Amino acid sequence: MTADTIQLEIIAMEKRRKLYSTIGILLMIAVLASGYGLASSMNSGSFLNGLEKFFDYPGEIVREAWEAGSGFFALVLQFLPALIETLNIAGAATLVGGAAAVVLAFLGSSNLGVKPPVIISVVRRIMDSMRAFPELIIALFLIFILGSSPVPAMIAVAFHTAGALGKLFSEVNENADAAPIEGLESCGANWLQRMRYGVLPQVLPNFLSYFMLRFEINVRASAILGFVGAGGIGTELRRTIGWGRGAGDETAALFFLLILSIFAIDQLSSFMRQRLVSGKAGS
Amino acid sequence: MIVNELSKHFGTVTAVDAVSFRIEAPQMVGVIGPSGAGKSTMLRMINRLTEASQGSIRVNGRDILHLKGKEKRRWQRDCAMIFQQFNLVPRLDVVTNVLLGRLNGHSTLKSLFSIFGKSLVEEALAALDRLGIADQALQRAETLSGGQQQRVAIARALMQKPKMVLADEPIASLDPLSAEKVMTSLREIRTRDKLTVICNLHTLDTARTYCDRIIGMHKGRIVFDAAPAKLTPDVVRDIYGADHALDESVTSTSIGERSAGADPVASDVKMAS
Amino acid sequence: MSGSAMTIGSREHSAAGLGVYPVVRRNSLLIIAATLAVAAYLAYVFVAFDVAGLIAKAQPMRATLLATDAVAHKVHVTKFFRGDTQTVVAVEGERTATYATPPDWVRIADNTTAVDLGGGYRVEIKDRQLVMETPDFGPIRATVTGRGVVTQLPEGQSAPEWLRATAAKFDARPTIGRRVQMSRTRVEVHRYFGGWENFFFPFRSELTAYSPMEILRLAFSPERLQADTPNWKLIGHTFWTNPDWQHGHVFIALLETFLMAILGTATAGLVGLPLAVLAASNFTPSQILRLAVRRLFDLLRGIDMLIWSLIFIRSFGLGPLTGALAIAFTDTGSLGKLFSEALEGVNKQQMEGVRATGANRWQFYRFGVIPQIIPVFISQCLYYLESNVRSATIIGALGAGGIGLMLVETMNTQRDWENTLYLIVLTIGLVMVMDTLSGKLRRRLIQGR
Repeated sequence: MTADTIQLEIIAMEKRRKLYSTIGILLMIAVLASGYGLASSMNSGSFLNGLEKFFDYPGEIVREAWEAGSGFFALVLQFLPALIETLNIAGAATLVGGAAAVVLAFLGSSNLGVKPPVIISVVRRIMDSMRAFPELIIALFLIFILGSSPVPAMIAVAFHTAGALGKLFSEVNENADAAPIEGLESCGANWLQRMRYGVLPQVLPNFLSYFMLRFEINVRASAILGFVGAGGIGTELRRTIGWGRGAGDETAALFFLLILSIFAIDQLSSFMRQRLVSGKAGS
Repeated sequence: MIVNELSKHFGTVTAVDAVSFRIEAPQMVGVIGPSGAGKSTMLRMINRLTEASQGSIRVNGRDILHLKGKEKRRWQRDCAMIFQQFNLVPRLDVVTNVLLGRLNGHSTLKSLFSIFGKSLVEEALAALDRLGIADQALQRAETLSGGQQQRVAIARALMQKPKMVLADEPIASLDPLSAEKVMTSLREIRTRDKLTVICNLHTLDTARTYCDRIIGMHKGRIVFDAAPAKLTPDVVRDIYGADHALDESVTSTSIGERSAGADPVASDVKMAS
Repeated sequence: MSGSAMTIGSREHSAAGLGVYPVVRRNSLLIIAATLAVAAYLAYVFVAFDVAGLIAKAQPMRATLLATDAVAHKVHVTKFFRGDTQTVVAVEGERTATYATPPDWVRIADNTTAVDLGGGYRVEIKDRQLVMETPDFGPIRATVTGRGVVTQLPEGQSAPEWLRATAAKFDARPTIGRRVQMSRTRVEVHRYFGGWENFFFPFRSELTAYSPMEILRLAFSPERLQADTPNWKLIGHTFWTNPDWQHGHVFIALLETFLMAILGTATAGLVGLPLAVLAASNFTPSQILRLAVRRLFDLLRGIDMLIWSLIFIRSFGLGPLTGALAIAFTDTGSLGKLFSEALEGVNKQQMEGVRATGANRWQFYRFGVIPQIIPVFISQCLYYLESNVRSATIIGALGAGGIGLMLVETMNTQRDWENTLYLIVLTIGLVMVMDTLSGKLRRRLIQGR
């Protein structure tokens, strides 16, 4: 009797599951279809029209770049300082934000003997809210106070980075082995010394790996923020695009630089992360 | 050192129950008892890794349980501790691990940048040399065998220039050969450096062989405290509980006996060497 | 096993035992060098970005003004000297928010206007002269004459630092919340009040007079305020179309941003998964195909959201579709790469087990692969959705629309900071809600249902 009912139950459950997954898939398709319908109706240009024109713009840029001939590479060189500025925004923001993240992460990890324990939850809340602030808002706000300059973008990106990396770092910290920390405590090492030798050597490879990943993300963010007035390659892009026709070769040169550098950083960061995770890094 | 009515409660559980004893002259004290008897908790309270609930520990007239901040850390340096799992920093090299024994008294800024003077390094090398592992000084701690790691831990303890050494089950994770080396080194701290060594042990024969005095604990209380010679089978029954099998070989780790067989790696090592 | 090797090693090391200190010192030098390198780089960036000059030029006053303006509203009392010389009292000086009868702190009689700014600050305007009284400073007079605005300080006192008086303009701001300006043509007195004005209903609406409880009662009351519409509809409509706050437009902008994120991420996930199968070495034997798909992923990621957005804005115009496509293109690359890595790590035994039952190709994927990949799939998609809500605000600001564009526009007009703050609060709210939701879902997914 029991075996039969169980079997029936299993079959019923299977059926239910099948039904659920079918409903799920249908729902997803419906949401996507209606979403695109809605999005398309909200858009100022229509989907089909856009499809036709999709290659126009890239085509136009490439053609102009082609026509520029060797002058194209002169343009690329000319925009190199803008690229460096963007990379500097990202680099400085990742370093400053990363340093803040390390401090926040050590204060916000529950297993490191931070006293009083209130600090831990306060620091966690701080990290959460830092993460929630979109970079755009901070950047716009600071541009208003400080004027157009790379610094607002750097601060904005660093602020977000501190929150985002801080959370990841504290997760790494909380997985750290407690034995070395205890060993150092028994020697009479103070809190900073325990963190430096008991925790840091364990977590450093993971920290660096997240750091590289964040640098890559931040290069992209800095380029975009340039577009709202924060300097670097984004600002140049807005200028050339704002001119409309005629600056296609410059736009192409900027695209070329940006794509090349993002590609290079992407490859470099995944290579280094692979090395770090496979455990070749010392401390 | 005078320990008086030392207790530790975890919630409703009493791990250490009003323990009192005194150590006047340097001696090697073995603490034995079944697991859960409160041996570890007692050592950890002496080192201040665990806060005591009640009682006092007087050393040279002052109660070290009330030390705070800098003075507490100074006390921790003075009573070096050795752990069952070594508690080294696995990713750092051996010599740095030993140097870490002197973090207390080293400026924080210097230690953040890993700056250690030549004399300190020489001292660390001497400590390593004394334990016969100076040649591994530049290897990462995690690459060493368990016995070697424990000897690094002892070197670190020596580096602390301690006034006493606490060892919490120092040989429980080691093969018999390494265990013997480690116990010999601890004994040497007692004889050569004239320091008190308090050592938690889970084997009677080790305690008998190396210790001047044995403290037996049962359910958080001291039930025996005398010279090893007075450890009669009746006393052992008191310590380990009446229903415990009293065949001493069960709790023994002498070479070639059962505990060696229990650890396949250990027996491999023995055969290879 | 290592015993004998160690004894041999020790002989060799013994001579080099002296070499330990140089190694320890080199380690610390490396750490110091790395720290110095970072410091030097930051110093270089500091100089390159001209931070010192920037700080000198910064206008911290703007921040205070902005902060005040964002959480308070001001009421303007304006009196023109030419044309219609009547005194006008209006919230934020807007014509649509003019008081029919002035509030009790403004007294208008004949040609004299007396404004009580509270806290002992008073302004009296008579003809073309104003007298300003402050608690710790004597009365200040300003008169419009043929030569411009003439300011008279009380005898023996020098001008306070909160007063800027030139022939063209008299501008006194003794506190953040009180300001008196006078030019040849008019006097404008500002008094600040805490809170967002007319947040729910426009100034002119009859609903403004009611308390929240009364509104609630009205909504369910059969007695109609307007004969042709039920009350709840009227209340909703009045709120929705409030011209100062534009709740309706803001909501649609938020929806656009949300749509961009969710459509973009869903599309990227659904397109990325099949492509990932083509890029995974244990599913696709053809190396050429695999390499081609992987390079495609790299290309999609490498072109970056910024460039994709610009291209799509060109071809599709403003709107959520543009943003969704930009996100979809970039993240197809990122998610595809992640999925292909996850696919390469799937458990072979489970797949073999399904194959052994004689399952066909689709069943093989359905039962052997999908169950293993689905947690990674969903949790990564959620994670990307989370960050894409943020990205969508930025893409919006580039010109794709949504809350991002609205934010940039209100910020550029620099007039009503309370509106900007409203948008910021909503945006952060949206981001936080998405973060929490996705975090919860992911945690549940990892812990198992």
